[in-house]
Amino acid sequence: MKNMSANPTVSRRGWLQAASCGLGALTVNGLAPSRASAGLLSPRGPHFTGKAKRVIFLFMAGGPSQFESFDYKPMLKKAGGKKGMKKGTLLAPQANFARHGESGMWISDAFPHLAKQADQLCMLNAMSGPSRAHPIAVPMLHTGEFQFVRPSFGSWVLYGLGSENQDLPGFFTIKPTRTFGGPANYGSAFLPSTFQATRLGWEGQAVKNAGISNLTSHHGLSRDSASRSLKLAQLMNQRLLSQTEDVRGAIDSLELSDRMQSAVPRVLDISGESKETLAAYGVGAGRTDDFGRQCLLARRLVESGVRFVEVSCNGWDHHSNLDKFKSKAEEIDQPIAALLADLQQRGLLDDTLVLWTGEFGRTPETQVLEGEEKIGRDHNAEGYTAWLAGGGVRGGLTHGTTDELGYAATDGNVHLHDLHATMLHLLGFDHTKLVYRYGGRDFRLTNIHGDVVPEIFA
Amino acid sequence: MKILSHCYLAALIPVLSTAPLCAEEPAAKNVQTAADNTGTTLFEEKILPALKEHCYACHSKAAETTEGGLELDSPLGLMRGGDSGPMFKAHETEENHLLQMLRHHDDVSAMPPEEKLPAEIIAAFEQWIRLGAPDSREDSGPTAKEQRLGRAKQHWAFQPPKVTALPVVKNNAWAHDKMIDTFVLAAIEAEGMKPVGDANRQTLIRRLYFDLVGLPPAPQDVDRFVPDQASDAVEKLVDRLLNSPQFGERWGRHWLDVVRFAESSGMEFNFTYPHAWPFRNYVFDAFNADKPFDEFLREQIAGDLLPNEGKQSPALVEARQIATSVLAFGPKRHNSSGTEFQMDIADDQINVVFKSTLAMTVSCARCHDHKFDPIPTTDYYGLAGIFLSTEPLYGTIKQKYSNTPTDLLPIGENAQAKHEAIKKYDAELAVAEKLLTAKREELKKARDAQEVAAKEKTSADKLLAAVTARQDATEASSADTTGQDARSELDRAVAKLTASTTAVATLKAEFRKVEGAVAKLRKNTLPRPHYAMSVRDRAKPADTKLAIRGDFRNRGDVVPRGFLSAVNVPDAATIDLTSSGRLQLANWIASPENPLTARVMVNRIWHHLFGRGIVSTVDNFGVIGKPPTHPKLLDMLALRFVDDGWSVKRMVRAIVLSRAYQLSSHASEQNMAIDPDNRLLWRTTPRRLEAETIRDAILTVSGQLNLQRPEGSTVTGLGDKLVRSIAPEKIQPASNHRSVYLPVVRDYVPELFDLFDFPSPSLVSGHRAVTNVPSQSLYLRNSAFVADQANLAAARLLASAEATDDTQRAALAMRWALGRTPSGIERDAALQLVNAVRQEEADSKEKVQAVPDRAAWSAWFLTLFTTAEFRYLADIDI
Repeated sequence: MKNMSANPTVSRRGWLQAASCGLGALTVNGLAPSRASAGLLSPRGPHFTGKAKRVIFLFMAGGPSQFESFDYKPMLKKAGGKKGMKKGTLLAPQANFARHGESGMWISDAFPHLAKQADQLCMLNAMSGPSRAHPIAVPMLHTGEFQFVRPSFGSWVLYGLGSENQDLPGFFTIKPTRTFGGPANYGSAFLPSTFQATRLGWEGQAVKNAGISNLTSHHGLSRDSASRSLKLAQLMNQRLLSQTEDVRGAIDSLELSDRMQSAVPRVLDISGESKETLAAYGVGAGRTDDFGRQCLLARRLVESGVRFVEVSCNGWDHHSNLDKFKSKAEEIDQPIAALLADLQQRGLLDDTLVLWTGEFGRTPETQVLEGEEKIGRDHNAEGYTAWLAGGGVRGGLTHGTTDELGYAATDGNVHLHDLHATMLHLLGFDHTKLVYRYGGRDFRLTNIHGDVVPEIFA
Repeated sequence: MKILSHCYLAALIPVLSTAPLCAEEPAAKNVQTAADNTGTTLFEEKILPALKEHCYACHSKAAETTEGGLELDSPLGLMRGGDSGPMFKAHETEENHLLQMLRHHDDVSAMPPEEKLPAEIIAAFEQWIRLGAPDSREDSGPTAKEQRLGRAKQHWAFQPPKVTALPVVKNNAWAHDKMIDTFVLAAIEAEGMKPVGDANRQTLIRRLYFDLVGLPPAPQDVDRFVPDQASDAVEKLVDRLLNSPQFGERWGRHWLDVVRFAESSGMEFNFTYPHAWPFRNYVFDAFNADKPFDEFLREQIAGDLLPNEGKQSPALVEARQIATSVLAFGPKRHNSSGTEFQMDIADDQINVVFKSTLAMTVSCARCHDHKFDPIPTTDYYGLAGIFLSTEPLYGTIKQKYSNTPTDLLPIGENAQAKHEAIKKYDAELAVAEKLLTAKREELKKARDAQEVAAKEKTSADKLLAAVTARQDATEASSADTTGQDARSELDRAVAKLTASTTAVATLKAEFRKVEGAVAKLRKNTLPRPHYAMSVRDRAKPADTKLAIRGDFRNRGDVVPRGFLSAVNVPDAATIDLTSSGRLQLANWIASPENPLTARVMVNRIWHHLFGRGIVSTVDNFGVIGKPPTHPKLLDMLALRFVDDGWSVKRMVRAIVLSRAYQLSSHASEQNMAIDPDNRLLWRTTPRRLEAETIRDAILTVSGQLNLQRPEGSTVTGLGDKLVRSIAPEKIQPASNHRSVYLPVVRDYVPELFDLFDFPSPSLVSGHRAVTNVPSQSLYLRNSAFVADQANLAAARLLASAEATDDTQRAALAMRWALGRTPSGIERDAALQLVNAVRQEEADSKEKVQAVPDRAAWSAWFLTLFTTAEFRYLADIDI
């Protein structure tokens, strides 16, 4: 990582001073828990006006191969079968690449739909992270740390920006993994629990069967009686107001829960979507159905004012069966393309930052697992591909390169910490100032690292 | 897979990173040589101006913050280097770290960051170093680092608590507890305020019940207490509660928060810890027995090393060993191993011991000197030596992602004998089972062979028959070789079949025998002892080397084992180098002379009873912790605590009997204008109950609460597993036991805990957050648990002889839930609700209720559980 300030003409110190407005008191002192209550989720202004107001994080668990997707490597194609720089032989890309869009971005034929959105994508071909082990890389990507339990990216964003819709939770995660940190990947750690994600389903479950707990009464009270009961509880709550303002929070949260009970099922119910929309996302079409639903839900959620939505897709760990890469890609290609087009059409793409990434990528060499006939590729965190779209990034830009065979980032490297710093910047935050005091120290998503990458800004 | 540690990374990508080089004294100044003269000239003409112009802004005493701990404005600071040690050695000829930074090499922080210095200046640095780096400046007093250290050592918390005379107050008659109340009242009066009036009896008994035992009082208890005019009525109630077994559960749980108790390893893999629960019981028992707090701490840090003069009962010796599991159940990455794994465990141990006992964030000094507190990295590695000389015994089995199993401690009656026997038995059974598998295989093979032989015989039979038939038909010559061949083929086949059949029979008999033996072994299973986690000293205790920037691959000098240099404990024993030193550390921490230990615990007790500590940052008494609101009172309480034999119960008793504790929650307008946050305790701040207390209160109202201590823990039955491989409902099965006995599996705590701010069991938490989020309301209104309990409460209400009509029932339900009777409006609204549900039930012909009216009354309980009043401790207005 190079020391790079967002504005090269301002010195680092000057830069830090200039950015110290906005969240000020809130972040320096942390939140006083007794004052916390419902107000925690009120919308808040960031440090400066950001281009992005919300995030959709498409997490490809397992580490998708860049060589079959978005990193064009003609030399690797030629060198396929020859001895590699490490232990194995080089494996030529198992997909064909072509240029797409006005930008002429290289995208493989595994992503024919997404290729049509090439000019929206900001391709980061020189990503890197600290480790090529899932258990380290997954929490790193989600929390900026793997040694300790720290707040997740989404909870930092919610903490910084609050929520635009007070009838819905501000941070959703759809079908998260239970492995490699599990709930800690979308938890709030020492931030107030308000900022943790609301989980919809688990990895492996069909999203159409997933629900959110306690939205319907187990008691079986009729609507009328439930509302009578609520009114009575609120009547009693009024009595306590003279003793503590905290009860205001309890009163508000009861009201909110009532609204959530109708708002959440509404936003999760896709039956009102047009046939065309459902078809565009691939809902009801076999391979694309589940991820199509997830992407559609992501759009519905951000459209309703949810601040951060993570959508997970597992099964990208192609140590073997790389021949199945294209059919895996098929599951997400059309849904993601539809999501981008839909956001664009609704005028949401400009201020919605979409991130597509795995916890790392893969090596240019062949891997043959014991007992497996089909070849694959091993993990690689020294150079891999992620992309951003919308939310103030320059569409059609390909940023950074790896060496000609694709072992490691050589130019325009974006470390995970840099990605976090840059995304926070796009959301209006100086990542060194979005802090929370815990156990005597100011913590931040990027720990003591991270450089903003201004080259990718629109 | 290569796994890099956090700190290794920190070493690679820091804001300012410097290579490790051995410290060397600056060139002696008194020997003037020609090289010195050239060097000095070079320093004055090139180096010093460059330092001033390009470096001082971030790396000097005058700088706003000294970046990377590097001070370049004094000869001492320049040669000492930053957080990671010296940047170069005098007379060095090869490229050093300073030059790499100046040249903006990759992997080091480019300095100055904005722009490289001119090549000529960099060359001057190189030459100057080669010339011995003479520095003509004088050291002008202590460097900023030393100044900071000096100031930090003066911080109030490091000074011994002092005896102070009681302050003078206007209202001399106000105090119940002379010490506590006089200090509190003086502070209130000093701001021109007056305390509000006392809480009424209904409020007081509810407050005492929840604070001391975590349960609501039964209406009979209230009825007995409220009219009791005896002068010692409150004392009697308090003593009864202090002596109830529920006290230890309530107060023990506070301690479990602090020591991040959990029954799984957490982190990315999260293995179950089936044997963590004995520690939980140990803590509850210790609070119930009012074990002196200093002893309690000694046991947890060094229970295995405490001298046993033969006077201690075996139970005590065992309890002391169990106590040390606090050093074993911390979050761990079991897939890592070797030095990194051990360093991470030691770090967690240092963190939990020092935050819990001294409220010091010592772990900050793993990678660099503490930024605020006077804790240099050498202190950290002195402590690390103690913990690295300690072997944590956390169990687990060797399996995928778990490379590092350890022994466990067998506990209970005849534990060691049982353990040996069961170990022998397990080994025998394993051998027998292995043999059984082998025999099964053999038998299968023999049967296959028999089948083949049978087939061969059949075909031989057929062949002979065919040949015979042909011969009969053609009446061929007797010299027909084909016939002979077929006969001998058949003979061979018959012989083979006979042999294989015999083999099968033999093997079958053998298999049966082994099978019988295995079945017998399985049937005659031996009693298994319980197990606990613990620690023991390693065979060869040793000092450890400093890890530069926290990177264990980058070792500095050996640091002798020791304690915190800034905390002075007179007459503390030095570490016995043949042991880990934990015992001496335990004595140093639990010493009455340690300025922090008693203060920190007294403050924790205060925090639980007033909702805020005298020091509000209960886990941080360091320089950036909050200053005490009542510093003199804190000192006096700490001294009183020690004088009173470190008795937690007596301290709790004193505080709850104080007038300050017994005030009403109602605010006075004048005081609100002066001290809205009630920092000076002019009233009782209303508080939200904790997750466990909310659940226990619901179960109390429904009559379902089981006050018995369950044996062991659910997790014990789950065995050694990856948590993610266990169905969530098996981790948290239905239970009516007190909430403190529900399994605490990291990342999988019960839903109600998760919603109502149960702290992350991976983090030391002396203070719980309080949030009010809609998911809490959704839980109370809609969850299966609350619905079930509301139904059970309704059935209990309908069966109660205390209420015979609707009005009485509405009132009794409220007494159970809130400790008061309804107002007229409330009563009417409740009855309307009950009648409305009743009507709905009557209208719906499909449902036949097991208990008539239950749904109606359960709607009322559901409403009561939903109110803020149910989960807040506030004044009960009669």
